[in-house]
Amino acid sequence: MNPINISLLVFMIGLYGVMSKNNLIKKIMGLTIMNGSIVLFFISIGYREAGLAPILEKGTTGGLSNTILVDPLPQALMLTAIVIGISITALALALIVRIYAKYKTLDIQQLSKEQ
Amino acid sequence: MAIHIPILIIISPLLAAFLVLLTRKYKIILATTSIIASIVFISTLSSRILSGDKITYHLGGWQGPLGVSLVIDGLSFFFSSIVLGLGLLVIIYSIPERRYSRTYYFLLLISLSSMIGIIYTADIFNMYVFYELLSLVVYLLIAYNMKGMALRASFNYLIMGGVGLSFFLLGIGFLYAMTGTLDIYHTAEQLPTAFNSSTRMVIMSFVLIATGMGIKIAVFPLHGWLPDAHSMAPSPVSALLSGVTVKIGIYCLIRMIYSVFSTETFSIISSSHTILIVLGVVTLLFGASMALVQTDLKRLLAYSTINQIGIIFIGLGIGTELGLTGALFHVLNHAIMKGTLFFCTGIMIADAGTRDVQGLSGFGRQQPAITFAFIIASLGMIGIPPTNGFVSKWLICLAAAEAGYTILVVIILMASAITAAYYFRVIQVLFIGPPKQSSVLIYEGKQMIHGGNFFKSLPIYILVAGCLLLGLVPALGISMLKPAVSLLLSHVIP
Repeated sequence: MNPINISLLVFMIGLYGVMSKNNLIKKIMGLTIMNGSIVLFFISIGYREAGLAPILEKGTTGGLSNTILVDPLPQALMLTAIVIGISITALALALIVRIYAKYKTLDIQQLSKEQ
Repeated sequence: MAIHIPILIIISPLLAAFLVLLTRKYKIILATTSIIASIVFISTLSSRILSGDKITYHLGGWQGPLGVSLVIDGLSFFFSSIVLGLGLLVIIYSIPERRYSRTYYFLLLISLSSMIGIIYTADIFNMYVFYELLSLVVYLLIAYNMKGMALRASFNYLIMGGVGLSFFLLGIGFLYAMTGTLDIYHTAEQLPTAFNSSTRMVIMSFVLIATGMGIKIAVFPLHGWLPDAHSMAPSPVSALLSGVTVKIGIYCLIRMIYSVFSTETFSIISSSHTILIVLGVVTLLFGASMALVQTDLKRLLAYSTINQIGIIFIGLGIGTELGLTGALFHVLNHAIMKGTLFFCTGIMIADAGTRDVQGLSGFGRQQPAITFAFIIASLGMIGIPPTNGFVSKWLICLAAAEAGYTILVVIILMASAITAAYYFRVIQVLFIGPPKQSSVLIYEGKQMIHGGNFFKSLPIYILVAGCLLLGLVPALGISMLKPAVSLLLSHVIP
């Protein structure tokens, strides 16, 4: 099984968590899992079998044509995506703290009954 | 200096956002100045854009396919002027309210700056980053007053928005895997070869991106978050959300359909136009009939937004020159009309102390000017001449009849009748009963600065003037979106 299929499977697990769980914290966990699966997806796009880290050392500028390098762009993109994911999670948890202080419950079924 | 104008338009509100946090006294002046500066910057470019030119700016001098560039063409110019115009009015409208602190202006400026970022960027991943930034700020703005309902609405939107943007990012991942670049124009060049070798992946990425944007636009089956989020936010923020933020999703969808997955190249994806029409019809009828049964005024307006999005979708789906002109013109008109309605509603709710439609009785005699503005904007929503809403609905109906979809004309007229029913219900309530002498004085003393009513009504008058002006002289608006329409119709990869 290649890593792209695995990451899509994990994405579906995260989506299932978001859609079907009643607890707000578990929904956020689902969202985090989705985010993690996307990171895995991008990294596996850039992966090359037996590739080297794409770092240029002094004096090696000319001789890179026949070495295999890992694609660095997805890795750079995923650093940004991870940061965004963390800030979304932090905001969601802050909202959850406020909601719990107000309603004393985290269950979405009970929350929808409250006014 | 002159070459750096595209980035200055984004930087100016962003810089002001962080400066606002440092000062207590000058926050309003700073916020207004930065937006005005952006408007000045953009107007220096207007003559070049309107003559059909395109301005490209490479950030840091790095060219595509790896560097990030900003592109201002007819379409992005049109959308960004709506964002800046309504943004300025929203800031003016919030001046008198004391409860809006520095943080509020900080969030507002960041949201405006990131919206312009989404519109200008030519890099799909950069678009995603700006969209996440916009969403983060919008969640915070919805929850700004920290009431229980607002917190729940914000959380629901966060979950839905998070899922939508994850879909979008996964779609971007598929695109990158096929083409090896994220620049919109380079992707569009590479995509036809990728389509021949891996058809399924192209379709998969298109579906993922379209679904993600669909959640953000609140198309019918994915609309669940919108009524709560738009009705629980503070009134100026509701105006911004309904008038502009939803349109950003529409912009991204248009860019994706016309610039990246251009329908000429992929005959399979061209069936997306039929899908757009079907979704538009369902969204239109659903929004209209749900708005009919609402008792909360802001919820009613939120469902009315869903209704109008349906009309825009129908126009986009028809896809002829008339249809696109009508759809884009309706984007502008809806921003103007919804801005007016939410601004008026803010004053009404503060005055009556209730959001219930029935509780507003007597407001019409108390503040006739505001009520007049509300009525004009409602007439625009229904589509009665001489308001701007009539012109764009007329264009879309004409396009539908021309393209042979006579049934669409019937559906739009039917939905207009329902729209009339729910707006006239509100207007009727405004005029029955005696004027109330209730909480006005206490309210003004405590929460508003001196002369606050002037700042609150100024944006309303400006928008209503725009409503009537565009209704009487529609050529003013249509000349602005000519380059955008010709860009969409040309289908050439630049």
